[in-house]
Amino acid sequence: MTNYRNFCIIAHIDHGKSTLADRLLERTGRVSAREMIYNQILDDNPLEQERGITIKLHAIQMDYTGVDGKAYKLNLIDTPGHVDFSYEVSRSLHACEGALLVVDATQGVEAQTISNLFMALDQGLEVIPVINKIDLPSAATTVDNVKQQVMDLIGCKEDEMILASAKAGIGIDDILEAVVKRIPPPSGNPDAPLRALIYDSVFDPYRGVIVNVRVFDGTMREKDKIRFMNLGQTYELDEVGVLFMQRQRTGILEAGNVGYFTAAIRRLQDTKVGDTVTLVNNPCEKPIEGFREVKPMVFSGIYPADSDDFENLREALGKLTLNDAAISYEPETSSALGFGFRCGFLGLLHMEIVQERLEREFNQTIVNTVPNVRYRVISNKNEEVWVDNPSQLPNPTLINEIQEPFIRAQIITPTEFVGTIMKLCMDRRGTMLGQSYLSADRVDLTFELPLAEVVFDFYDKLKSNTRGYASLDYEYADYKAGDLVRMDILLNGEPVDALSSIVHRQKAHDWGKKLCSKLKELIPRQMFEVAIQAAIGAKIIARESIAAMRKNVIAKCYGGDISRKRKLLEKQKEGKKRMKQVGKVEIPQEAFLAVLSLDK
Amino acid sequence: MTGYYLHIPFCEKKCSYCDFYSIESLDLVEAFVNTLIDEIHLRSGDIKPDTIFFGGGTPSLLSPAQLERIFREIPFFSHALEVTLECNPGTVSLDKLIAYRSLGVNRLSFGVQSFVEDELTFLTRIHTADEALQAMELARSAGFTNVNIDLMFALPNQTIDTLQYSISRALALEPDHISAYSLIYEPGTPLYKQLMRGEVSKQNEEVDAGMYAYVIERLIDAGYRQYEVSNFAKAGKQCQHNLVYWHGNDYLAVGPSAHGLVNQTRYWNHRSLATWTQKVRDRQLPHANEELLSRNERLIELMFLTLRADGIPANKISREFNLDIREILQPDLSYWISAGMIVDANGVLRLTSNGYAVCDEITVKMLSKLPTPL
Repeated sequence: MTNYRNFCIIAHIDHGKSTLADRLLERTGRVSAREMIYNQILDDNPLEQERGITIKLHAIQMDYTGVDGKAYKLNLIDTPGHVDFSYEVSRSLHACEGALLVVDATQGVEAQTISNLFMALDQGLEVIPVINKIDLPSAATTVDNVKQQVMDLIGCKEDEMILASAKAGIGIDDILEAVVKRIPPPSGNPDAPLRALIYDSVFDPYRGVIVNVRVFDGTMREKDKIRFMNLGQTYELDEVGVLFMQRQRTGILEAGNVGYFTAAIRRLQDTKVGDTVTLVNNPCEKPIEGFREVKPMVFSGIYPADSDDFENLREALGKLTLNDAAISYEPETSSALGFGFRCGFLGLLHMEIVQERLEREFNQTIVNTVPNVRYRVISNKNEEVWVDNPSQLPNPTLINEIQEPFIRAQIITPTEFVGTIMKLCMDRRGTMLGQSYLSADRVDLTFELPLAEVVFDFYDKLKSNTRGYASLDYEYADYKAGDLVRMDILLNGEPVDALSSIVHRQKAHDWGKKLCSKLKELIPRQMFEVAIQAAIGAKIIARESIAAMRKNVIAKCYGGDISRKRKLLEKQKEGKKRMKQVGKVEIPQEAFLAVLSLDK
Repeated sequence: MTGYYLHIPFCEKKCSYCDFYSIESLDLVEAFVNTLIDEIHLRSGDIKPDTIFFGGGTPSLLSPAQLERIFREIPFFSHALEVTLECNPGTVSLDKLIAYRSLGVNRLSFGVQSFVEDELTFLTRIHTADEALQAMELARSAGFTNVNIDLMFALPNQTIDTLQYSISRALALEPDHISAYSLIYEPGTPLYKQLMRGEVSKQNEEVDAGMYAYVIERLIDAGYRQYEVSNFAKAGKQCQHNLVYWHGNDYLAVGPSAHGLVNQTRYWNHRSLATWTQKVRDRQLPHANEELLSRNERLIELMFLTLRADGIPANKISREFNLDIREILQPDLSYWISAGMIVDANGVLRLTSNGYAVCDEITVKMLSKLPTPL
């Protein structure tokens, strides 16, 4: 066990995590230089590569002979790179004894790096700071400042930081040496009862769920009967092995190592990240701490663009959950959109990923409604009701209190943008909790904000208002009561359920006005005038109207025009079919996302 | 009813808005007539045309002698009830019109477009307002009792006043038929390029709609009946040839770029005179393409063409497609009827004057409600 090292890489997007991982794999001979043509091997999903973020976790074992002449096995465990997946990050950190903290020599420390770093420090990981991209010309002027930030942050000495360029291959040997010298080997007893942590799982259509684990104590062998301690099910191990570039069957996995198993588990939902695996016959006493059920935080309706495709969409969602256990979905009905699903996501990014996967991998054309958070409603009779669809909010007369989820947001920014950011957060009903200076020109701000105010365009706004310099991280805090009301949108007097939203009373008026004028832009002229109204209960708070269509007919259609005209009409007919109808008013699908582009 | 269309692709000068195929090389007319006769022979089947229509281009560039040669070759020519020739008011004389009439032409269609000189100049027409007036008088003198005048509205810089003026001048001539078109900016035309370059601007929807409503009201007042989006006729003077198109009946077509419909197949000839000529000389049908209409496509065509014209024949659809069209179109049909856009009378769903203005919107909605596949 003394020759194992389990570690991960903590880095901000674009600070070079994937490139460094590639370089380590190459240096340890796990992949050849030829294979490196396809850079960034760990991010193997096209969506991950496009967005430059890691969504699914990966792990890989490397062989390394140290300067001391000993042979080591290094398990590099990847971590997802987005706040939506911070629970997964915490579990994969838990599977490690050490972490490389990669900081861009020209950019400095970012919010997300800090929160992951603190998570790693909390879990007692040995952190090795790596200042990356030192070969960039602009690094010459910034590197000292960045080094100082890192030293202040983790209290390390200057000579403990490794200067590197993953791209140019600088410092790679130093990093590998530091991994074996500074990160402690795993402790644990191979003869004790099995205690293994699930940090990820993927679905394979032929073998069922493939579970990635870190074994803390005991030994896992094929044919063993295992139990998931939190979920309670038992299985028999089919295949056990370690993770090279591909899975390598070894039949056995001992304390201190990282690997995978299969056990004829049919659904991804039957394994939970953070759960503890033990033996049925010889169980360990206590599960590994820190397990929790990940709950969706952001909800949106997903409807088939063509209502005939409802069953196809159901099937696609079913398949999608095979390798994304975090999404939840329940059938729902909307008077505007017909039959669809109310889906729950970990966050906005997760929502976008699911939508994109539905369209790309499953060929579904979908209409999704504006995302919202889940509200806790306390009724007059003091009963608790959870509402994840604004149109389902009970009648106000029955409500005692509406509570909404808050987040604690950490924003790191150059000092010049502090004023802008304060204004943005105040506009979003935020409260500042604290600020601390990371260096003379960088400050770390903490705010408490309602999640509902962040799900729309907060991040975009933050980025554009700070020319991209500010970075954001957040964690979920509490539910708190607020002066919240449901705002409905009516078209010619008929409410459009899919456009209802829950807003703060003070912002309702402004919000309603903007939404009405946006809808005026997006809804085409009809054969009659259309009144757009925003209402709270029976009270109209904003209105717009769309004048009736005056003329829509092409003047000529003779013998030579008929074929062309028919083809045009057939195309227009398909567009018409995709429109959603409320009363007589036809609404294009983009209108259901109007709220997202209110300020554009 | 069946029709026979002949495309004469020559003009003294092409108009800037026109996207019909025509060229200005008048020295090729004689050779063209020979080839056209060859194509007529290639198609000599069992079609017995009720209507014959010479379109273009400018068919009035044909001499009476050339026209006579063509007539001789059209099968069952004497059977035809309606023989129309499109004329440019700048290319006719009394002698020519008398000759046309004696050969069997019994309907003339004049591309007048406007009686305002500035508007004619804008449209790059070769005739003046006075010439249009004279042409009409000559036609009457030659004995024609079925004459159409084409007019245009929603021209850039046109006002409701100049439109009123043109319509008054037209009505004073007592044509039997008036076609009044809202200007279309057809891609590929010089006018379209002007629009793209920002040299001209389209009238907005309100003005276009206002002018259209005015045209309809004025012509109905003057005793014309609207029987299609842009077409108005005195009693018994509807253009039978155009009704062939709009009722989905068969029509043969000859000449470059001409479109025909025979045995549920639409075909269209090569557009270029050279290619068309070569094919015909090689004794091949000069088709650029053809398409066999599916049942679904035939229904769509019947619906949109009849709605544009004198109404959707519900009984015919029930008979031929086994569909209760009234039921399929509910609840929208009731709305259209109550909103005064459609009337349901004599087994036909017909647009009202108000309905014609939003014909395409209603059409698309109707088509979106058809079951697919049938």
